[in-house]
Amino acid sequence: MLRALLVAAKDVRHVYRSRASLVLMLVAPLLVTGAIGAAFGSGEGFEIEATRTVVVDQDRGAGAGHPASTDASADGGAGAGFPAAGAAIRAALGSPELADLVDLTTSPDPQSARAAVDAGVADVAVVIPPDLSEALWGGSPFGDGEPGPATIQIYKDASRTVGPGIVAAVVEQVVRTCQGAVAAARSAVAATAAHGLDDPAALGALASAAASDFLTRAQSDPGLSLRARPPSVSTTGPERAPNVAAQVLIGMMVFFTLFGASVPARSVLDEHRAGTLPRLFTTATPRSLILGGKYIAVFVVVLLQSIILLIAGLLLYGAHWGAFGPVAVLTVCGAVVAASLGLVTVSFAKTPGQAGAVSSVIFVFLGLVSGSFTGTADLGQVYSVLRRISPLGWLLEAWDNIMFGGSFSDIVLPVLVVLAFSLVFFALATFFFRRRYA
Amino acid sequence: MEAIVVEKLRKQFDPPKGPVAVDDVSFRIAEGEIFSLLGPNGAGKTTMISILSCLLKPDQGEAWVGGFSVTKEPEKVKQLIGVVPQEIAVYEDLTGRENLAFWGRMYGLGGQLLRQRVDEVLEVVGLVDRQKDRVGKYSSGMKRRLNIGIALLHQPRILYLDEPTVGIDPQSRRSILDRVKELNAAGTTVLYTTHYMEEAQELSHRVGIMDHGAMIAIGSQAELVQLVGGRTRIDLRVDRHLQLVAEQWQSLPGVHSLSRDEDTGLQLLADDAAALMPRLLESARALGVRITEMTVAEPNLEMVFLHLTGRALRD
Ligand SMILES: Nc1ncnc2c1ncn2[C@@H]1O[C@H](COP(=O)(O)OP(=O)(O)OP(=O)(O)O)[C@@H](O)[C@H]1O
Ligand SMILES: [Mg+2]
Repeated sequence: MLRALLVAAKDVRHVYRSRASLVLMLVAPLLVTGAIGAAFGSGEGFEIEATRTVVVDQDRGAGAGHPASTDASADGGAGAGFPAAGAAIRAALGSPELADLVDLTTSPDPQSARAAVDAGVADVAVVIPPDLSEALWGGSPFGDGEPGPATIQIYKDASRTVGPGIVAAVVEQVVRTCQGAVAAARSAVAATAAHGLDDPAALGALASAAASDFLTRAQSDPGLSLRARPPSVSTTGPERAPNVAAQVLIGMMVFFTLFGASVPARSVLDEHRAGTLPRLFTTATPRSLILGGKYIAVFVVVLLQSIILLIAGLLLYGAHWGAFGPVAVLTVCGAVVAASLGLVTVSFAKTPGQAGAVSSVIFVFLGLVSGSFTGTADLGQVYSVLRRISPLGWLLEAWDNIMFGGSFSDIVLPVLVVLAFSLVFFALATFFFRRRYA
Repeated sequence: MEAIVVEKLRKQFDPPKGPVAVDDVSFRIAEGEIFSLLGPNGAGKTTMISILSCLLKPDQGEAWVGGFSVTKEPEKVKQLIGVVPQEIAVYEDLTGRENLAFWGRMYGLGGQLLRQRVDEVLEVVGLVDRQKDRVGKYSSGMKRRLNIGIALLHQPRILYLDEPTVGIDPQSRRSILDRVKELNAAGTTVLYTTHYMEEAQELSHRVGIMDHGAMIAIGSQAELVQLVGGRTRIDLRVDRHLQLVAEQWQSLPGVHSLSRDEDTGLQLLADDAAALMPRLLESARALGVRITEMTVAEPNLEMVFLHLTGRALRD
């Protein structure tokens, strides 16, 4: 065993002494991350700068004159129980999920809000008209009127596009949800009236209950997501959104660890060609220990590479990776699967050149399928299934989960799948190496 | 007691069409002997060494090293042997000393003994001054010496040296040959391959001559030279028509065998040199060819090879 470690130490040292390997393993992923991050972000770190948003909420609520209230209850008077649309918009914009993107303040009147935008103190002003709720709920608790022509005004700094776009999207989403609530309330009333209930007070209470129920559900399960890869985490505690650089770097890390693994893995072929491997086989050290040492070397090289990249991401790009435990597990897991892939692609090949060519093609394909390069782009449902044919897709999914605040329970499945893949690759590599060398 | 016993070994690469590198070879090497395998490029020497090092499995036959089967007890065999491969096999990015320390550990050495052996070997191969330099910066002769030194670390009972002096200056070659003799005097059995007749002649107690995978002769030098009988070798150079001359002389009475060398050289084995030489001069004159050089050589291993194969050892 000690001799296996000696072989491993020699190989690890060899890799980390070679400038070419270091460029490929460490400099390249950090540079690519820097380049992509710079294309996305604006200066400090790579966070999209929070959009400074001023809200002017003039909404009077549905029951004329009633103060606006988001947590409507069914036992109020007719109309009074409807949720206030203006407050819903304010709540959505001020939600913790958007805290990194929207910096929310309120203003009493439209003039001063617009002035703030003109003066460059704010990026966008959202002016909610007094009759918004009335227009949405049709002015009547029975919901039989048509929605009025109320207009929400979004006043923005002309030089900014992304931030105000996000704000507009949030506002539109809330309005849609409210319209959905109206529809829900109407159908509830219609259904009940059909059964002969015609007490106006009871129908009003029913309508407002249906509307607010719809609204609560809609808000707890928002149709709008600003995340590229919606995490499948059961969020406990405050959720954190990772910055762009972190997501890009994880993709790059997963991709470049494959190359990190292939460098020491290829040393099997290099040493075979140089004659040192056959010579090792003439010593009293068993072949299994010599090849085992190579496996250890590949794993250690990739593990070191991952750790260096994670720390560099932290220091250079201010990336936050998630809770330490899951991060450690995924780091080790990633090193295992990269090592297994590096070894298996080398085990097929006859010459170092062939190994280099073949493995590069395989790695780029895996990187593409798994989403190493696509960073934050949302490529839809089909893709999120497709990427699961690759262990790296699973691995990236797990990284996403913990970067969005997930815990161990959110990565158990991906980790098991990744390890299963690795086991198969190790077995294949061992089979081919044994056939050749044993 | 026999150090090495080889019984009807056969090895073909890439069957069924590949070369038969070792073809039904049998021989024995006694303990304490220096045995040389002499043969031209591609004769099968390295393949034989590889089989005896447990690197290659023979297709047929069996070999025993120190009484252990190379196919069934490779771990036992490897404890006994030190192998100097034909191609230099050292780590260029490590220093000479680091190389020796690493290989020593792979041979199972450690601690004080390892340090002591590394020092001794550095002394033996004359690399004490350069031990802290990276091997990548060594001259090829120095690399060769290190290549040899690695196999001496664990003081093997049986040492294989596969053409250890190729591409080395005369001084280093001298010291390597002397070292081999010293090791042998201290009890090491040596299997030495070469295509330099002089080396085989100087070192070996017995020589096996290989050609095209087959062992074509085996014995002490005296025994081998007897195969040539009373024949003498004549080396000649002519100024033109080499092809024509070679064809003509091939059939001259008294010419036992003839081989062409390079552009203008001819070697022939004469039953009676004194009687043949006038006939050669006469024939040359008749063909309009001038003989520019003619030497007569004593019987040696090279002539044995020429005698047996009709070709020169170094082609
Ligand atoms: N790995 C291999 N694959 C295929 N053929 C091989 C291989 N190794 C050797 N051979 C062939 O086997 C034959 C014997 O080669 P070998 O290396 O044993 O000769 P050698 O006597 O050591 O020659 P040299 O003096 O050039 O080292 C040659 O025809 C060679 O081409
Ligand atoms: Mg050879």
